[in-house]
Amino acid sequence: MQPTHIAEYLAPIILFLPLAAAVVIALFVRDDDEQSAQFSIGSVGLAFVASVTLFLLGGGRHEIGATWLDVGGLQVSFGLLIDDLSLLMLMIVTGVGLLVQIFSKGYMKGDPGYSRYFAFLSLFTFSMLGIVLADNLVMMFVFWELVGLSSYLLISFWFHKPSAADAGKKAFLTNRVGDFGFLFGILLVWAATGTLNIGELATKLAVDPHLLGAGATCAGLLLFCGAIGKSAQFPLHVWLPDAMEGPTPVSALIHAATMVAAGVYMLCRLFFLLTPDALEVIAVIGAVTSFLAALMAFQQNDIKRILAYSTLSQLGYMVMAVGIGSPNAAMYHLTTHAFFKAMLFLGAGSVIHALHHEQDIWKMGGLKSRLPGTYRTFWIGTMALCGVWPFAGFFSKDAILSSALGNGAYCAFLIGTLVAAMTAFYMTRLVLVAFGGVPRGDGVFGCHESPSVMTRPLWLLAIPSVIAGFWGIDVYLAETLPGGHGHASTWYEAMFAPINHSPLAAMFGLLAVAFGHAFARRLYANAVSDPLPLSAGLLAKIMRDRFYFDEIYAFLIRISQGALSTVADWFDRWIIAGLFVRGVSGFTDLFGRALRMLQTGNLQTYAFWLAAGIVVILFLTLPGAKGAGH
Amino acid sequence: MNLLSAIFLVPLLAAVLIVPIPRTIRWGIRLVALMATFVSMVLGLALFVKFDAATAVNGFKFDYMTDWVSLPGIGLTIAYHVGVDGINLGLVVMGTIVAFAATCLSKEIDRFEKEYYILLLIMIGGILGAFVSLDIFFLYFFHELALVPTFIMIGIWGRGPDRNHATFKITLYLSLGALIALAGLVMLYLQSGLKTFDLVALTGHFQAHPMGEASQRLIFPLLMFGFGILVSLWPFHTWAPTGYAHAPTATAMLHAGVLKKFGLYGLLRIAIPMMPAGAAEWLGVLALLCLGNILYCGLVAMKQRDLNFLIGNSSVAHVGFIFLGIASLSLVGVTGAVVLMIAHGFLAALTFGLSGWLRQQTGTTEIAKFGGLLRQLPFVGTFLMIAMMAGCGLPGFGNFVGEFMVLFGSWQAYPVITGIAIWSALVIGGVYMLRAIRDVLHGQMDEQWKSLRDADVFRRVPVVILTVSLLLMGIFPRLLTDKIKPDVARIVASTKTGGMAKPTPSSPTKPVVNSHEVPKAHH
Amino acid sequence: MNVGLEHFQIVSAVLFGIGLLGVLIRRNIFVIYMGLEMMLNAANLSLVSFSRFNNDLDGQLMVFFVITVAAAEVAVGLALLVALYRKRQSAHVEELTTLKL
Repeated sequence: MQPTHIAEYLAPIILFLPLAAAVVIALFVRDDDEQSAQFSIGSVGLAFVASVTLFLLGGGRHEIGATWLDVGGLQVSFGLLIDDLSLLMLMIVTGVGLLVQIFSKGYMKGDPGYSRYFAFLSLFTFSMLGIVLADNLVMMFVFWELVGLSSYLLISFWFHKPSAADAGKKAFLTNRVGDFGFLFGILLVWAATGTLNIGELATKLAVDPHLLGAGATCAGLLLFCGAIGKSAQFPLHVWLPDAMEGPTPVSALIHAATMVAAGVYMLCRLFFLLTPDALEVIAVIGAVTSFLAALMAFQQNDIKRILAYSTLSQLGYMVMAVGIGSPNAAMYHLTTHAFFKAMLFLGAGSVIHALHHEQDIWKMGGLKSRLPGTYRTFWIGTMALCGVWPFAGFFSKDAILSSALGNGAYCAFLIGTLVAAMTAFYMTRLVLVAFGGVPRGDGVFGCHESPSVMTRPLWLLAIPSVIAGFWGIDVYLAETLPGGHGHASTWYEAMFAPINHSPLAAMFGLLAVAFGHAFARRLYANAVSDPLPLSAGLLAKIMRDRFYFDEIYAFLIRISQGALSTVADWFDRWIIAGLFVRGVSGFTDLFGRALRMLQTGNLQTYAFWLAAGIVVILFLTLPGAKGAGH
Repeated sequence: MNLLSAIFLVPLLAAVLIVPIPRTIRWGIRLVALMATFVSMVLGLALFVKFDAATAVNGFKFDYMTDWVSLPGIGLTIAYHVGVDGINLGLVVMGTIVAFAATCLSKEIDRFEKEYYILLLIMIGGILGAFVSLDIFFLYFFHELALVPTFIMIGIWGRGPDRNHATFKITLYLSLGALIALAGLVMLYLQSGLKTFDLVALTGHFQAHPMGEASQRLIFPLLMFGFGILVSLWPFHTWAPTGYAHAPTATAMLHAGVLKKFGLYGLLRIAIPMMPAGAAEWLGVLALLCLGNILYCGLVAMKQRDLNFLIGNSSVAHVGFIFLGIASLSLVGVTGAVVLMIAHGFLAALTFGLSGWLRQQTGTTEIAKFGGLLRQLPFVGTFLMIAMMAGCGLPGFGNFVGEFMVLFGSWQAYPVITGIAIWSALVIGGVYMLRAIRDVLHGQMDEQWKSLRDADVFRRVPVVILTVSLLLMGIFPRLLTDKIKPDVARIVASTKTGGMAKPTPSSPTKPVVNSHEVPKAHH
Repeated sequence: MNVGLEHFQIVSAVLFGIGLLGVLIRRNIFVIYMGLEMMLNAANLSLVSFSRFNNDLDGQLMVFFVITVAAAEVAVGLALLVALYRKRQSAHVEELTTLKL
């Protein structure tokens, strides 16, 4: 296919720039830290500029591709799809990616794997852009796997640390379980419709809604399995907290802003495939994830882990939004979340950097005055995450809550409100304990603010975290995805739109935040140790130990797959290689031993057998020998 | 000289050339071997470039035929007949590349080098000869010509205290498999009554005049199990991990990578086109048995404590996917199987090459003794990681394309088995490969490996060549599939004509009753 | 009494049987050797008698060959045996086991 529109020229360039950077770093400049960083940042910067150009040019849906595989009924193209949805996602990925990479330049200073780090980041950016731009399910799966690979490489970046190596492995394998469902779902869809192209699928399904037949719900849920893995939904959520072993900018980019959002993005892309039954399951999974993760966040003491559980919880929110039938609210929340969560993680990174890799919030305290820039941006991020008006999180969260109300999903609304309160609680706890109060650790006294290469990206991310709510993203999305309501024309109207549009949802949301905040302030203002374990006891311990999911899974894997492999190994060793193979050889050996008895080495015995043989032959062959009477 | 003949005659001639070189001139011996395999590789690549799927003589390109033994009195002719089509083209090219890589990596050999290189070149010549021959006599002859050096090399240059046991095991197993297949081939020859071993003639004959179903049912399993044993079909697979774990690096690379594919090739080239009814009846069994490879051997691989045994078992597991693709008898599945044969060849060569280097450097392959080697050996570690990732089906490598096509192709015929195979490919494969990376490359490094050196140029070149081949296959699969497709389509079509029905999706093992009854069952 | 072919054959068979028995059960290598000669001569007797009664000289021709070969064999064999006896001071087969594993 010849490109005709500028978008069709730019899309491949955006996609391949980061790959080119990764290849160049790996092959040519891997010994030069500075150049590696420049190549990587330059490529993602150019990709960002190109994405913004595309967005400003605007205009419709473009598809470009080449045949990648064509055998029989299996036709797969290497195709790129540029439409409003992928454009928005392109800007998020390249924009946040650019800032995170700039931040990394300071954060990773002096690391022996500096250029390797940037090569991996570029590889990740390439893979993530691939998911965003993929126009068919197989390409999406291909980049899905590549994203899993780059996530694995970056989590276990400090591979000499056993915990990091284990965490990477766990993340990859957990994702693989989800990918099993994803691939299976793709297979079912292909078998039923004969096409893998998303656009064609949508057209075909629009013509014949029952094309997928009885397996429609099943196929949809199998595809959702991919999202469960990648977006760390219950029950495959266990890998994300462990993934915090990776460098903090990686957590910001991959495990908060972009990769984990890929599942939500995929659900929005394939929303037309999902049946009402499937959506119901999706909503339940999302709600359970957001609630459980918020509970687990209550009792974490590691600054990154608190943010990780909050990410889980927010992802659950987005998935729930898809489940209640408003993918545009999900995408909205994904967008705002990408900004403020990336900023929070980078803020945490700045803290960790300043404290020389101290991550326990109870060993912090009093950072407010020592790290003023970090504190202010962190505070903005917290406000946005909790959903305080007029920060971005308020608007996107409100979009979800109001559409839950509007679609009659009252359970989802209740859980959403509850989780909003819980979010306010644990985030207030985090800010109060880490930044407020008095210093509780030795590292705090000598610390000073991070260099500007790290704080500037924080401020740059703070801008959209504040204003993304009345920027018109919801209006933009409403034109793309079903279930939206674009209503405001000016930014001033947009600021108050949620309150005018659905006052009940907005009121509940804000009340929940106030309640959670007040409760946390009562408990943690000037606290020197956590009061909850004393008062809540066992419950707090269960929350701290994350409801023992890891232990339960380890047990389940041990008694299922582990036991199976032990049995198989035993069978292979003793039955097949032992009993059968050695049995055959043993039998042959025995037979040989028996025959050896005849070989006495005594010439006269041989002569006897010879003579006896001749007699027998003569007896059998001579005529008349048998008939003795003749 | 015909290009195809040159490809396998160059290594054989080089083997003869080495004979007069005094054994003290070690570089001379090595140079001859390297040059010969390099020339062979270049010729192979030329073949690949010149191969044009559009021009065909009875479906074969570069077809060359001349009588070798012609005894009109008793009506026996054996012809020297070579040719390639989409099915063996990739195998031949892959074979030449792996052969060059194996020769490069043979630098580890430190005794009886002259004999070693002679045997290696004979093995290479035999392998390539087997894949280009279109006469069953030569096909079999070259296969055996390659097998004999394999045994000797494992016995003499092999590693580990158990190498005699390994040699015994692999020799007996493979001889048994070859013998069973020979019995099948002889019966096939007798059935035809053509007094010729020519593959094209025999195939044409059996497609025009199908063999009786009773004989098909008898001969097909002979070929299936005979060839199956050669490819480590479950439960006849235990020779493979043991044999490869003890073989010298080059032998393991060549056997696991290339020679092993002979059984699959025979199945696809001889058994299925000539006996479609037998195939319809027995391929269901094959699909069940390949589950033993895919699932069972994957599980076994998870438990291995020795890197070479892990790789060996994973290689056996990968072969299961090829069997599944063949058993599906669909265009997508069989094409995928052919792609996977080639990809697996590169991958097996790559992993055995790297683990051979590790073994030579460290003197052990026990996983527990390693750890953190990535920092000490950045090159070997990185490529081992790439190989492991390719092994667990990561997109971008040829294996993904092959497995993906096999799974999509076999879905219709064997849905349950396909489901299990997906699980095995994604999850079980991931578990053992990542465990290997975690325990060998990641983590803390033991002090005793501080003195390890990274690979030199003789190791780097082959490793890079193999990796690039895998990547090319994975990124541009049409390079291969467009060439494979027409010929697979012929085979698949031939199994559906001549009154033979393909296995019904619901009950693949059900015997085919009558051709005119089957369509009714579909209504 | 009329001596017929059967009588010759019976004598030949008895001779052969005695010779065979000697070969099979005796342990002295010289006796075994004599047993072998006896079997040869039994065969000769049988051949000559057949030749005489069938009026066909082929059988007698064959006997000459047998006698010649037997003579050669005796010459070589006895020489070997004597040499062996000198070396080992024994003619007992169970003691001549050097070649046995």
